[in-house]
This record gives sequence, C-alpha cells and structure tokens, in this order.
Amino acid sequence: MSTTHEPLLRLRGLSTDIRLRRDAVHALDRVDLHVDQGETLGIVGESGSGKTMTVLSVMGLLPAGGQVVGGQILFDGRDLRDLDPKRLRRVRGAEMGMVFQDPLTSLNPTMRIGAQVAEPLRVHQGAGRAEARERAVEILRRVGMPRPDKIVDDYPHQLSGGMRQRVVIAMALIRSPRLLIADEPTTALDVTTQRQILDLIDDLREEFKMAVILVTHDLGVIAGRADRVAVMYGGRVVETATTADLFASPRHRYTEALMRALPESAADGRLYSIPGMPPDLSRPLTGCRFAPRCAFAADDCRTTDVTLTPAGPGHEHACLHPVAEPVPLTAAAGRPRLARDPAEPVLAVRDLVKEYDTGGLGKTAARVSAVAGVSFDVGPGETLGIVGESGCGKSTVGRLVAGLETPTAGRIVLDGADTAALDPRARRRMHRQVQLMFQDSYAAMNPRMRVDAILTEPLEIQRVGDAAARRARAAELLDQVGLPRRALERYPHEFSGGQLQRIGLARALALRPRLIVADEPVSALDVSVQAQVLNLMRDLQRDLGLSYVFISHDLSVVDYMADRVGVMYLGKLVETGPAHEVVRTPRHPYTRALLDAVPTPDPGHTPTRGTAIEGELPSALDPPTGCRFRTRCPLAQDICATEPTLQGDTHQVACHFPLRQERPAVA
Amino acid sequence: MTRYLLTRLGQALVIVILVTLITFVILHLLPGGAARAILGKEATLQQIAAFNHEMGYDRPLWEQYALYLRRLAQGDLGYSFQLNQSVGEAILQRLPKTMLLSLASTLLAVLIAVPLGVVQAVRRNRWPDYTINALALLAYATPIFFLGLLMIILFSQVWPVLPPEAPQGFTLADVLADPAGLVLPILSLTILTVAVYSRYIRSSMVDNLNENYVRTARSKGLSETRVIIGHTLRNGLFPVITLLGMYLPALFSGALVVERLFNYPGMGLLFWQAALKRDYPILLGVTLLISVATVAGALIADVLYAAADPRVRLKAGRS
Repeated sequence: MSTTHEPLLRLRGLSTDIRLRRDAVHALDRVDLHVDQGETLGIVGESGSGKTMTVLSVMGLLPAGGQVVGGQILFDGRDLRDLDPKRLRRVRGAEMGMVFQDPLTSLNPTMRIGAQVAEPLRVHQGAGRAEARERAVEILRRVGMPRPDKIVDDYPHQLSGGMRQRVVIAMALIRSPRLLIADEPTTALDVTTQRQILDLIDDLREEFKMAVILVTHDLGVIAGRADRVAVMYGGRVVETATTADLFASPRHRYTEALMRALPESAADGRLYSIPGMPPDLSRPLTGCRFAPRCAFAADDCRTTDVTLTPAGPGHEHACLHPVAEPVPLTAAAGRPRLARDPAEPVLAVRDLVKEYDTGGLGKTAARVSAVAGVSFDVGPGETLGIVGESGCGKSTVGRLVAGLETPTAGRIVLDGADTAALDPRARRRMHRQVQLMFQDSYAAMNPRMRVDAILTEPLEIQRVGDAAARRARAAELLDQVGLPRRALERYPHEFSGGQLQRIGLARALALRPRLIVADEPVSALDVSVQAQVLNLMRDLQRDLGLSYVFISHDLSVVDYMADRVGVMYLGKLVETGPAHEVVRTPRHPYTRALLDAVPTPDPGHTPTRGTAIEGELPSALDPPTGCRFRTRCPLAQDICATEPTLQGDTHQVACHFPLRQERPAVA
Repeated sequence: MTRYLLTRLGQALVIVILVTLITFVILHLLPGGAARAILGKEATLQQIAAFNHEMGYDRPLWEQYALYLRRLAQGDLGYSFQLNQSVGEAILQRLPKTMLLSLASTLLAVLIAVPLGVVQAVRRNRWPDYTINALALLAYATPIFFLGLLMIILFSQVWPVLPPEAPQGFTLADVLADPAGLVLPILSLTILTVAVYSRYIRSSMVDNLNENYVRTARSKGLSETRVIIGHTLRNGLFPVITLLGMYLPALFSGALVVERLFNYPGMGLLFWQAALKRDYPILLGVTLLISVATVAGALIADVLYAAADPRVRLKAGRS
C-alpha cells in the first residue's frame, strides 16, 4: 500500500443543488470531507442532513434536477468534475462501488442475478459470457451466498432481503473497487441480518484493501464499524473525529443532542428530545443551522457563518459554543417500574393461533403458520413490548388483538369478555377499547381527508356525540398530542413524519380506548423525533391510564418503553418477562443472539463474534417441529425436536437449555 | 403452469356462455323482431306468426336458447336469411380482411409508439416530450371518423395520390391486389393506436427510470443507452402486453367506424349492416366471436406476462 498522505477521496467545498419547479434546494453547502485508503468513514445524520446527497454527488448519481454546483471531488488526485462522461463512467464502474438502502428494489426484477452481477465486467473489461459467469459465481461465493452456481440463474424475487443485499455487494465488488460506498446498507434489514451484512463489509474491506464510506442514521452501526465519523446537519458537516473520540467527547451541540436522544441514554425515565425541526434548505440560511433548535445558541450563532475548526488531533467541529466537559453516556435506567397489584388484565390472550391459506387446491394447498399458540396478559396502564424479526408474527398478533383479523383458534379476552363469544354489534363496541397506531401513518391516512375528518371519523362510525361534540373532541385530541389546533384544517401530506405519528396517536385516542396496539410506531422516524413521540406516548399513558402493546424490532426502544417484553420467533413466544430482565439477562438463545446483534452506540463495545446466528429464518409454510429455533440454535440437541413450554415465574422461557441468569448481557 | 392454464380456460368457458346468454336475451327483448325486418312493413300478422313459428321464435326463450347452444356445440352459428348464407361462412369471408387491417395497423403502431414513448420518457418535460405529447393528445382527441375524413380530403382530394375507398374484393387476395386502397384505412387506425400506446409506454418508462434498479445500473458505470435498452425497456414494455391482449377483440370485430368510412368489406361493416337490418344470427355470431376473442386476449396477455416477467411466472407456477 502506498504511504502518501493524499487521501483516496477528498471533497473540497462541495455544494449540490436540487432544482425544483420554482426554486432549488441547496442540499449540500460547502461540504469538506476526506477518506483515506483502507479506512471506514461513517457519515451520520438525520433525514435531510445531506448524507445521501454527499455520496450520490461523488458517484454522479444525483436524482433528476440534482447538480453539483461548486467545489471539488478529488478521487485519487483527479477532480471527477473535470472528467468527460465516458471516463467518469469508467471510474464509477471500476474504481468505486455502491451498495444501496433497499435491497428489494435495487436489483432489476427481470434480469438474472448472474447477468446483473457480472455486467460491469462485460461492459468495462469486455469479458465473455462464460468468464463473466464464472467470476459472478466466484464473487457470490465470496459474499456468502449459499449455492452460488445455482443462484446466478435465479431472479431477484427468489431471494430474501439479506441475500439480495449480498448480491448488491457482490455487484459492487466484482471489479475490485478502491472505494465502497454503502448508503444505509442495513436499514431495511433485521438486526441479525444487519449484523451478517456489516460483518461481511468489514471482512471485505480488509481483503480488498478498500476504503469504505458507511452512511447511516444509526449511531450504533457507526460506533461499531467506522474508524472516523462525520456528522452532518442541514447540508453541512458539523463535526468530524475519530469514532472513539466522537463518542467519548462530542463537541458540537447537535452531536451531543443526537446522542442524548437515544433510548439507551434515557437517564431518568425520560428521553431527551431536540425541539423543532431541521431547517428548510430551499431558503437562504445564515449562521449556524442548528441554532434555532440549540439550547446553547447565542446571538453570534445566528449571524456568524460557522466553519469547521480544529479542536484536537483529527477532531474538527463547527460550533461557537461547543461542549466543554464530555458528558458520559449513562446506561439506560429504564422506566420507573410501577408496583402493580394483580388487577384484572385489560387484555388476556390464550393459545392464539393464526394460519393463512396460500391458495391452491388439494395437494398444493399450504398453510402458513403465522401465529402458533401465543398467550399473554396486558394489565391496566401496562406496556407489553413484542419483539422479533420480520416474519415472526408480531404484527399479526397486533392485528388479531385489534380485531382486524379473526383468529384460527384461541381466545382474546378484552376486559373480561371473550371477543369470539360476542355478537357482532357488541364486538364492534368492544373494539372501541382497542385502537391501532401504525408505522407509516401517512399510508394509514386517506390523503384526501383533512385532519379534522380523520380524527372525527372513528367517532362517527361508533356514533359518539353530535357533530359539534366531535369537533370539540378533535381539537382536544390535538392538544393532547401537542399539535396546534390549526392543524385540523390541513391535509396529511403537509405534516412531517413525527407530526403524522402524533396525528396517528390522536386518532387512536379518539374513542378513549383502554389499549393501543402500536405497530412499529417510531421505526420510520429520526432519533430526535423518535424521542419526542416516545415521550408523548409515555406521558399519555401516565395521564390516561392507557395500556400499550408495543410492537417493534428495535430492542432498545422496547427496553425503554415496555414494562414486560415478549420475544417472538416464527409465530411462537420464546421468552417473556420484565423488560429489564429479558434485555439484561436473556434466557433463550434466540433472545441472546438478537441482543448481541443490536449495534450499541459505544465504540468500546465489541460484539462477540460467534454468537451471531447464521442462516435465514425458516419458512412459516413448513416450520421446524418442536422448538422452532432449533435449526439455527447453537445449543440444539435431539430433545429440541419436542416442543418446549414456557416455564418460569415472572420471567418465562420456552427452551430445553435456557441460559443461566447470572450472565449479564449488557456491559 | 398447466393447472393454471386449465383453470383459466374453465373460467373463460363460463364467461363465454354467460355472454351468449346475455346477448341472446337482450336481442330478443328488442322491439320489432326479426320477422318484421325480413318480411317488410307490408307483412300481415299471419305471415309474421307463420314466420315466427317456422323459425321457432314463438317458443319460450329458454327453449330457443337451448336450441341455439346445441347448434353452437356442433359448430353451427346459424343462418342469415338476409345475406342468404350461413353465419360461419359470412364471418370466415370477412375475418381475414379485418385481421389484415388490424394486424398491419397494430404492428405499425407498436413500431412507432415504442421509440416515441422511450424518447419522451428519457427527455421528459423537455421539448421532444412536449411536442410528441401534444400531437398524441390531438390524435387521441380527434374522433376517428373525422381523422379518416381528413385523410380522404387530404390524400385523395387536395393531393390526389390515394383512393378514398378501400379495395372491394371478395377474398383476401382481391384486397391485397389493390394495396394503395389499404393505405388510408391502415394509417387512420395506426395514428389513433400510436396516440394511445405512446402515452402508456411513456408513463411506464418514466416510472421505471425512477426505480432504484436503474440507479444501481448507473452505479455500474453503464452508458445511458445500455441503462435504457438493457435494463429499463423490458420492464417498461409490460403495459404493451396488456394493451395487445385488450386489442385482440378489436382484431376480430374490426374497427367499425373505419371500415364503414372507407367501405372496407370486413367484420365491422358486417356487424354494422346486421345491426341496421336486425340480422340476429349475424349479430349473435359476431358478438360470440368478440367475447371469445376478449377472453382469449386476456388469457394470452397473462401467458405473455408470465413469459416476460419472472415474478409472475413463479406465482403462476405455484397455483
């Protein structure tokens, strides 16, 4: 390797605009960055911060209307902006490779895997058909594809999300690029798959001696994988430092706020949230862009153009009033646990089963076992968290509880009344007690209805009050969720993601339910907004005595929100218990693996290799007999072919070889 | 796949039978009746009664329908007194001529519309797109009889290079012997079809060009031509398959207006004349043919889809 000090990639004053019909969004404003050979640079920021625009500018893949308007992109000393299109394409295809966020849509659906992977070879090296295929098989094997010689002839839809991401990585690597850009490569994937993919990228970086740019919103991912970090906000880099330095002593007020907003750092049961919203980049901005949301902003912040200034070896920040004393991350204390009397549960679920027919006749008929005998209780004012990977049946449980689907077998007892035994009218009235909150509230609202109509509709359907009373209730609901009353006259598309979640919550509250089923309510939100919504949900729970079934794939969020947790795997509850116990001393090997796969925002924490689960989730069409996890479990023995039952007192586990409790999971 | 096809064929059969039932009932509910149409205004009530009895028109409707179905099963579509030939014969005589007209215009339309739509999508919201869009809209909004008349005025009156009437001939060979006469009818149909197809292709290509897989393709350093032709075109052409499937019935029924306008002796003209004369057997026969073609068109489109799109293939194979 050469020992020159010139970095592989250096951005100097890079500015990018996105032209719209009337004005332009100044997506990037004088971004300075560099990536050295063989290092991993993490770019972290919230949506709209410009992190993706930065890498798209480098790759020359800006969306329609996007254009680099200033600065330099120096790759190996050459300014890419000076190259003619043909040579630029060569650089892009041969020296850089990119991995995208959504593996489900980033492959051509009608082209065979092998042809897509080998295409750069055929185009840039003129490789023949046979050679290209051979190289495709080889690189697919390298990225850990099982049976690569078969996969080359498959189409993308035949593969799972994680496998498709491996294909995209293989495609980026086939020409042995010197720079690999990964833009949120694991955001759409489950934690266990995320871990496999991130490990793979780490290994490949060493083997191919590449530099890597890892773009993510997830501080946990950055902490475990990057050598250096650049924090972006409002189209600018606000702080860069080595990863250890940044997490130990963040200097910019935004970086600090971002870290404090993590559920992991909730010190006193309440999350720190950043007030306000990111700046509108289509307007001219003066001063520090974070100033309007910053608790430490002074007059000079609003008038001075703050640029990156050195603050230590390799540490630069653009803050006039930086953090002086490093604030150590405090371990999550979790929520204050209420002492509960064994009151009548609001919801009791017994042996719930849901199976779906996949169509087909006779022999081809198959049944998907989505939920296979799940039982749990939710007490008044209690939050039950349900965690598990996609396909584990957690959302189905939520829909069954909310009455959107009828169970194949089992009982759902709401407030002491078995829902199956009620006549349709009584059941409909009963459903007032359970309301839903969705992950994508925008998709869950009729875009042509105003907010007032959205909020009063449940009342109309259940014939509650007259028109005036409903309007008054809608206004009251907006007060409760902290939105101004003028929001009533606006349409869903006029709101941000966090505001939409508030409206979604308001709609769920309209009928004064006792239980809200929240299905991934904060998964689509940025950390700072996530904190606002989680705080609101907890405030309302305290004020209204609500119970929640909180469904999430994010263990740290569940740990923060839930009193008790149920862990699901392939339609079964494998472990339940008090949240802090399950998260700190998991007893089921699956829970343990799930926890180990979660990236922690602590660079000192190295995930123990070898605890990662291998392979893919088995098909729910033909689930393993006995313990459903046994096909991937490191501890599995013959006895696991018989089904384990949930055993234990408050902390129950369904495992023949439960882990010992004294082993702490989180350092 | 076989199982899938068999199920679909079964469904198709049910639909066709339902169509015959509905057409049959509606036609017999129409006032006037066939007797009046054939025997003329002067016919006495007795003559009409005798005719109806002879034809079986005085029997209950369901009985007539059962008889019709039984004959149908034997391949007998009925007999037209007005044309003095069997319905099957009448259709067979005209069908090839109509297919010539439809096939030629469709083929031309696809050949023109695909490049147009692609150019529009690639240069979207710039002048080539706007120009083509405006012209396509104009053609789409123009009633076909007006378009046809315009062509006649332009090309056989103002600048008399082409005959205003389609070739008159009994067989396909007769028609082909006079290719100049075919130009205007085919051109009129083509212009209209291009207007429809190019819009579909444009919007489908625009959608596809915004897909993530196109960005992936560009990230491999492919040239724009390769991105468009190698990656986007195949996915962008799926709507054409649906359109072609939907177009199959027109292939048989003929473009009624165009055939009438240019006096082209095809299925459209046959249907037109039968409707005027209340020639029930012909009307029923043609309707049946169109319904079979409609169902077959949908089926063929599905099969073509499966061939073109591997995602559909898998699903079809499973059920």
